[in-house]
Amino acid sequence: MKKRLALLLSVAMLAASLAGCGGGSSSSGGSSDGGATGSGHKESLIIGTDADINNLDLQKQQDATNNIILKNTHQTLVFFNNGSQGDERFGPCLATSWEFKDDTHIEMKLRDDVHFNDEEKTPMTAEDVKFTLDMAMDNMAASILTGYVQCNVIDDYSIEIEIESYNNEFIQSLSSVPLSIQSKKAYESGVEDPYYIGTGPYKFDEWVEGEYCRLVKVEDYWGNDIPEGENLAPGVAEVIEFRPYIEASSRVMALQAGEIDVCVNPPINELQYLEEDENITVYEQTGTRLFYFGFNVEKEPWNNETLRQAVACAIDRDAVLEAAVYGKGTLQTTILNRGLWGFYDDMEGFDYDVERAKSLMAEAGYANGGITTSLSYASGSPYEQIATIIQSNLKEIGIEVTLEPMETATLKSACVDGSHELFLWRWNEDSKVDFVYRDLYYTGSGSNYHHYSDPKADELIDTVATEKDPELRLAAAQELQEYLVNACPQVPLYIANLVVAYNKNLQGQYFYGGGNHDWRHAYIAE
Amino acid sequence: MIRYILKRLIMLIPVILVTSFLIFWAMSLTGGDPALMLAGDNAKPEQIEEIREELGLNDPFIVRYGNYMKGMLTGDMGQSYVTKRDVFKTFMERLPNTLMLGGAAVFIAVVVSIPLGIYTAIHQNTWKDTAGMIFALFGNSMPNFWLGLMLIIIFSLKLGLFPTGGKGGLDSLVLPAVTVGFGLAALITRTTRSSMLDVLRQDYMTTARAKGCSEKQVITVHGLKNALIPIITAIGLQMSLVITGSVLAETVFSWPGIGRLVYDSISKRDTPMVTGSIIMCSILMCIINLVVDLIYAFFDPRIKAQYSKKG
Repeated sequence: MKKRLALLLSVAMLAASLAGCGGGSSSSGGSSDGGATGSGHKESLIIGTDADINNLDLQKQQDATNNIILKNTHQTLVFFNNGSQGDERFGPCLATSWEFKDDTHIEMKLRDDVHFNDEEKTPMTAEDVKFTLDMAMDNMAASILTGYVQCNVIDDYSIEIEIESYNNEFIQSLSSVPLSIQSKKAYESGVEDPYYIGTGPYKFDEWVEGEYCRLVKVEDYWGNDIPEGENLAPGVAEVIEFRPYIEASSRVMALQAGEIDVCVNPPINELQYLEEDENITVYEQTGTRLFYFGFNVEKEPWNNETLRQAVACAIDRDAVLEAAVYGKGTLQTTILNRGLWGFYDDMEGFDYDVERAKSLMAEAGYANGGITTSLSYASGSPYEQIATIIQSNLKEIGIEVTLEPMETATLKSACVDGSHELFLWRWNEDSKVDFVYRDLYYTGSGSNYHHYSDPKADELIDTVATEKDPELRLAAAQELQEYLVNACPQVPLYIANLVVAYNKNLQGQYFYGGGNHDWRHAYIAE
Repeated sequence: MIRYILKRLIMLIPVILVTSFLIFWAMSLTGGDPALMLAGDNAKPEQIEEIREELGLNDPFIVRYGNYMKGMLTGDMGQSYVTKRDVFKTFMERLPNTLMLGGAAVFIAVVVSIPLGIYTAIHQNTWKDTAGMIFALFGNSMPNFWLGLMLIIIFSLKLGLFPTGGKGGLDSLVLPAVTVGFGLAALITRTTRSSMLDVLRQDYMTTARAKGCSEKQVITVHGLKNALIPIITAIGLQMSLVITGSVLAETVFSWPGIGRLVYDSISKRDTPMVTGSIIMCSILMCIINLVVDLIYAFFDPRIKAQYSKKG
């Protein structure tokens, strides 16, 4: 009897331990495996992302991966054309035109042929736009819509936006994914997850957290008649699926095994394996992500501008670039992300020159060095490599650096409360210059980890934001960059290249230097 | 016996209280402001402050903990700061995946390690014993993530037998389960071996042989049965560890389990998600320990008698 019971219990324990096997099977096999459609392309496009998808409620998240997905299902008033300059950089999308009536009022005309992807094909009207913008001010998206006062509905397809004061980049704000237009009716009707309903060429099919997010092409998309090649044209692949592969090597192997079609951000040290694979294309272009070395200028001795310049001269940025990303990046002198409006990199700056560094050290009153300090950075690559090089560089001019790796959350807090001295950080911006100048250098700004405060810099930042004369604005932008490079609260290190590896038959993709890629018209040709 | 089980279940209450307090306290000691992580890089200081106020992060620690526990009393584990989703629901969505991986890993470990442990004990101090112990040492010392990547290269890329990752059909479970199971097998093998060695030296084993039992009977009926208690303890312990300790394997194989959920939540300072998940894990561990204790009783009548007396 006892033997039987023992046997029974052992089997029960084993069965209990395998209990999960049946439990989670509802989604198994649910993800797409991409068959052929007979229309010259594979049914599905599967994209391996480097981060988890964590929130698809547009205005309550700020995450790049979420935004890349939401770009397919939702549409903004204004479209950001990567790589273009001048007026073409921001073009019409759901708004057809806009005009400043005066410094604080913008009149905007909307498309009259757009409908939401709900069962009733509810038309998108000015009420939806007003609802979306007003709602943003109560959510996280408010940080993108700085200066917004209110939106007045003129008629079904015209609105007037009131802003606090004139700003050159307010219109550009409206191209941000979290400000995509949402359905007022969906929110008012109490439908579950109303933020899923957009106007884009794809709609949500299923999102299983941690596993995949699948989008399907909208059959009755409002823009079905828009010719192929145009921005608002319909999608091609029947299904686009995003699967998070946090471990970079696993993402690479999934691409090699053909389980995914696109591997976002493959690790640089594994590119050679991908390049050797005849079924894979490795694409590389200059990115917009700037890695930099910063000073907390409120702290002694880093409030000494000449000393900061000496440090800038002592950093061997070529060695940093090589160690961090195997040379796959671009050195730059200015503090502005490459590709942004007004980018100017022709100033003298501070190239690697140990003799000049020593001379500046003497001028700053530290002829014999004797400075002990700490360098804070986020653990892991590439910061570890960068920190090690800089530690060794600064030793040459008599600065002893203690390395302090920490978690990103801890580093951010240290940078905000000013307990740090030197730090490594990155800034990724590909559309608004104000998100660089103001966020990083304006007095009291949230991401001003340098704790830099200079009335002249603040004034120039305001001028760049509000000056209407293009020539004067450009002159102010250049002066501001010269001024900040010389004041040296930051030593720009390099701009990392954008690298994407994908199935060689991928077509229709559109890459953004900042990583916010456009997959709406992408497909795998057969 | 039933009273004993009830007593053990009631003991979950102090476990929940202590665990939640410790986690809350640890999260408050760790540097890093959830509001900063949530607000994004472009947020203005006043917007960060608004988020802080909304999440109650400006309240003193004890008030925040009190509020959290008030919610717990009504079955509300709160909402994730990041995903804005219900913590309990999110945890329960991931739990089957973790049980699936943990169960399969323990199954593989048990199937491999118990026979191997017995075999090495019987052949103590021979080359067979040494080979078995090298296997155990290998399993103990090999990093999980490295083994995982090697298995992907061999079985997915070269042989094309299994998917590289993700949670699909049962085939997607094989490589992560082998990866986790290999490490577990090492410990169970060593425990089985040492427990069997103790038993093999007992007088009753000689008596069994003297009575004319076959060697197979001596080992499996008289030996293994008496050696089982430490082995069951080791298996139970491993099962508990697998619930939260598979984060590396889950990351390498993109397996959507609890380990990855907790790890991501810690890095984002998502206190409700971390606290809720760890409380749930503690409850699970207590239940597993209780089940293990009950299994003891069925294998060892002395323990059963003790439970009845205590009950």
